[in-house]
Amino acid sequence: MTNLHRRWGGVFLVAIVFIVLTYNHYRDNLASLAPEQVKQETPAGEIRVLGMVQGGTLETRGAGEATFALLGKSATLPVHYQGPPPDNLRELKILILIGTWNADRQVFEAHDIGIVPNYGFIAGAYLLGLLPLALLLFAMTRRVHSLYEEIKASTLYEEE
Amino acid sequence: MTIHRVIRKVQRFEGWFGGGALLCLIAGLYLGLIGSPPDYYQGEVVRIMYIHVPLAHTSLLGYTILAAGSLWYLWKRDPIVDNMCQAVAALSAVFTALALGTGMIWGKPTWDTWWTWDARLTSFTVLLLILIGYLMLRTFVDDPEKEARYGAILAIVGFVDLPIIHFSVEWWRTLHQPQSISMRGVSISSGLLVPLLFMSVGMSLLFSYMLMVRTQLLYLDRLLHAKKGRLLSQFHLSKSDS
Repeated sequence: MTNLHRRWGGVFLVAIVFIVLTYNHYRDNLASLAPEQVKQETPAGEIRVLGMVQGGTLETRGAGEATFALLGKSATLPVHYQGPPPDNLRELKILILIGTWNADRQVFEAHDIGIVPNYGFIAGAYLLGLLPLALLLFAMTRRVHSLYEEIKASTLYEEE
Repeated sequence: MTIHRVIRKVQRFEGWFGGGALLCLIAGLYLGLIGSPPDYYQGEVVRIMYIHVPLAHTSLLGYTILAAGSLWYLWKRDPIVDNMCQAVAALSAVFTALALGTGMIWGKPTWDTWWTWDARLTSFTVLLLILIGYLMLRTFVDDPEKEARYGAILAIVGFVDLPIIHFSVEWWRTLHQPQSISMRGVSISSGLLVPLLFMSVGMSLLFSYMLMVRTQLLYLDRLLHAKKGRLLSQFHLSKSDS
C-alpha cells in the first residue's frame, strides 16, 4: 500500500460516491412505462408514459387542452391532456407524458409533458470524457514512480 | 537558465494543481449534473456541454502551449522545453479526441447524426491529425536533436489551424452553434454558466497537472537513458584504462 495507491483509492471512492448520488437523484425520472404496460397493468397514481404521438390523431382545443393517441410498440393509448400550453406537442414526436390512468373511461389524463431525457447519451459522454483521462493519469503517475525507483537503483553498472 | 528555475518552482506546486483540479471537477460535476436546470430547447442533453466544451477549450490551450514551447525551443534549444512540448502534444491529442467523441455523443440526440462535415468539426479533426502527425514524426526521426527541431517546426506551422477553428463558426454558418461566451458578451443563462466555468477551470488545472507529470516522466526517461549511457561509458573507460 503505497502513497500512490492510497491517493488513487481516495479518488476512486469519491467517484463511486458521486455516481451513486447522481443515480439516486435521477432514479425517479428514469422509470417510464410503455403504453402497452399501462393498458395491461392499470397502475394507480401518477405515472410517466413514453411514446410517440400518432399521426393524424392530434386535436387541440384551446391553449392548454388536447387529445391524441400515444403510440407504443403494440398498443395505442388515448390521451387527454390538460395543463400548461404545450410547446413540444406535435404529431410523430416522441415524448414523456406525466399523469394518471383513468381505468373507467380508458383514457390517460396527462397534466404535463416532458422531453425524452436521453440519460444514456449523457452518461456515455461523461464516462468517455473522464474515464480515459483518469486511466492515463494513473498510468503516468505509476510510471514516474517506477522511473524514480529505477534511477535510484541504477547507480551501479551491472556487468552482464 | 531561467526556464529551469520556473519549471522547478511550478513543479513544487504540482500537488496543488492536482488537488485543485479534483475539487473544481467535483464541484462542476455536481452543479452540472444535479444543481443546474435542463435547457428549454435541448432538455437534459445540454448537460453534455459541461464536459464537451471544457475538453475542447483545454485541447486548444494545449496546442497554444505546444506552439509557444516550440518557438522557445527553436530560440533557446532547451531540452526540458522540448520534453514539455512532446508531453503537451500527446495530452492535447488525447483531449482533442475526447472532445470529438463527446461532441459526437451530443450530436446524435440534438442533430440526429453522429458525424457531419461541419466547418468546426472538420477543422477540429485537422487539429487531431496535426497532433498525431507531430507525434509520429517524433518517433520516426532517430537523432533526438533533429527530432525536436522538426517537431517544433511542424507545431508552429500547424498553429494556422487554431484561428480557423476559432472563427469557423462565424465564417461558415453551418451546424455547430456559435460561441456563447465571446468579446461581445455572454449569451448563456447563469444557471448553465457557473457549472461550465467550474468544469473549464477544473479541466485546465487537470491538464496542467497531467502536463507536469508527463514532462517529468519524459525527463526522467531521458535521465535514465543518459545515466545508463554514462555509467556504461565510465565502465568502458575504466576497463580501457586498466
